Amino acid sequence: MKRNTNWLLATALLVVGLCVAGTAAAQVTLEVMDPRGEIPPPPTIGINPRVPELAGKKIVLVDNGKFGADNFLDVIAQILKEKYPSATIVMYPKPSAQTITDMPKWYPTVKQQGDLFIFGVGD
Amino acid sequence: MPGVYFTTTEFLDDAKSAAKDRGMPGIRMIALPADKYYRARATDAELQPIAAAVFDQMVDDLVRPLTAEEAKPSQIQKQHENTNIKVTGTDYEDAYQKVNDLFLDSRWADGLPIVPPTPKLVKAMLAATTRSPDEVVGQVAPKNGTATVEKIAVNSVMAGAKPEYFPVILAAMDGFVDKHFDLTHVQASTGSFTPVVIVNGPLAKELNFNSGIGMLGHGWRANSTVGRALRLSLLNIGQTWPAVNDMALTGRFEAYTFFTFAEDEAKSPWEPYHVSLGYKPEDSTVMVATSGNPLVLGGGAVAPWTAQGILNTVVERTSNVVFGWVHSQTYILVLHPDCAYELSKLGYTRKSLQEWLYEHTSIPYEKLITATSGFGHASEIDEIQQSIADGRIRPDRAQVFKDALKPGGKVPIVQSPDDFHIVVAGGSPGYTLLFSYPGPNWAHETKKITGATLTKAGH
Repeated sequence: MKRNTNWLLATALLVVGLCVAGTAAAQVTLEVMDPRGEIPPPPTIGINPRVPELAGKKIVLVDNGKFGADNFLDVIAQILKEKYPSATIVMYPKPSAQTITDMPKWYPTVKQQGDLFIFGVGD
Repeated sequence: MPGVYFTTTEFLDDAKSAAKDRGMPGIRMIALPADKYYRARATDAELQPIAAAVFDQMVDDLVRPLTAEEAKPSQIQKQHENTNIKVTGTDYEDAYQKVNDLFLDSRWADGLPIVPPTPKLVKAMLAATTRSPDEVVGQVAPKNGTATVEKIAVNSVMAGAKPEYFPVILAAMDGFVDKHFDLTHVQASTGSFTPVVIVNGPLAKELNFNSGIGMLGHGWRANSTVGRALRLSLLNIGQTWPAVNDMALTGRFEAYTFFTFAEDEAKSPWEPYHVSLGYKPEDSTVMVATSGNPLVLGGGAVAPWTAQGILNTVVERTSNVVFGWVHSQTYILVLHPDCAYELSKLGYTRKSLQEWLYEHTSIPYEKLITATSGFGHASEIDEIQQSIADGRIRPDRAQVFKDALKPGGKVPIVQSPDDFHIVVAGGSPGYTLLFSYPGPNWAHETKKITGATLTKAGH
């Protein structure tokens, strides 16, 4: 009886093993290559400390050149003047269509002109 | 200098992506509601409630002390390791489907199924060139991903390109990553700019590029898969995605395969386009350029036309100051063979036609005095003077423009006659196409195809 049981157990294990092997054999693995370009991560930079308040500050409004940005910044300037009369508002000239991509060159000038900047409107 | 950045809700992801790309993830941004801002931006009165609604937040962003993370953000980590990916399925079809699901769900494809880029297929692609797999072709905007020959091969396999096409794809990528080519604009602009890709020389014929009826359409494997390989390379290596950092508002025309075709040199009455640039007839080249959607000129199969009439229409459309910025960088005039033949009969060579267009499209100074350009603010005259001052108008051409900016002067719409690129392609009967790019920066390059190992031409 015990011999029969062992024989049945061995047969069952063999069948299960064959099934598992059969399943593994049927699987297909595709190895594919990554299409993405590697991007060296840039060094991170913190933003500059804030000011305690806007009163008395020179605030530069920088127009990114897109239609309506000057109008929006005009309204912001009006509200700033009402609420912070001691602040000085500097409207940076709207870039032309041909020079819009040169804007980063202007940033040192913006920095010289004020204590704070407000940039808009992207896009 | 502390500041705050205004954007709109539709562009917030784009702004955050750009800030991260530049290592400043902490920039304080305020997103105006797009559905209100764009409708109101024409007048101060309409913008007043929108500005008032965000004013307190703006002030707070300027005075609220920084968090530790804002003051010293964590170093941005490398996005991924360049390792192969293994996908297992119950059978080949299942594995194939899973690869496609992975690529499409991960935004590594253009929305259509791809050919899985297995190492074996990529190796076969690489065998088509003598260029090393590790060669850095350049950096791809906007994220400046590194384009190696191998990366471009991976994307070319995905596109379904034959290995024989690979040297053409590489040369086109050489053009896109050229330091003079403004790739960011065509990758990210809100306008629907799209690359134009024109193949010249014996390789175009050997690879069976279509240059006749249906040249911009489907059906030709060379046109379709070379264009798609470039699309996928720009998408995956530069890492763009619609509405995230590719902000083309209505998408890009021919977005999947670009405007990819060959010049029909056999039907041209003139020397091949690339020969006019100084290449040898036995050279093969590819030109890449940024363009808006082309104007379609002529009557095709259904209406009469004349070659002179087509030229007149080109003049009418391009010298209209409303049409675009003056001194556009590039025009690509694709004459269908019948039109080129008629122009040749009238005595035009490519060079004399370029000169005719240059002269006749020039705009009278008096017409420009009251004209504005670009985003509707700067005067055209100011634009041109600024362009002379900052060197955008090349120093060797500056005097021409200075002389034109006075009563009686005529201001050219391109910097020199050869900025009208003239090629012959299309059906017979056919239509003439005018591709144009209004700048502001340089966006066209022609590169020689080299290193081919599987074809007679292109070595």
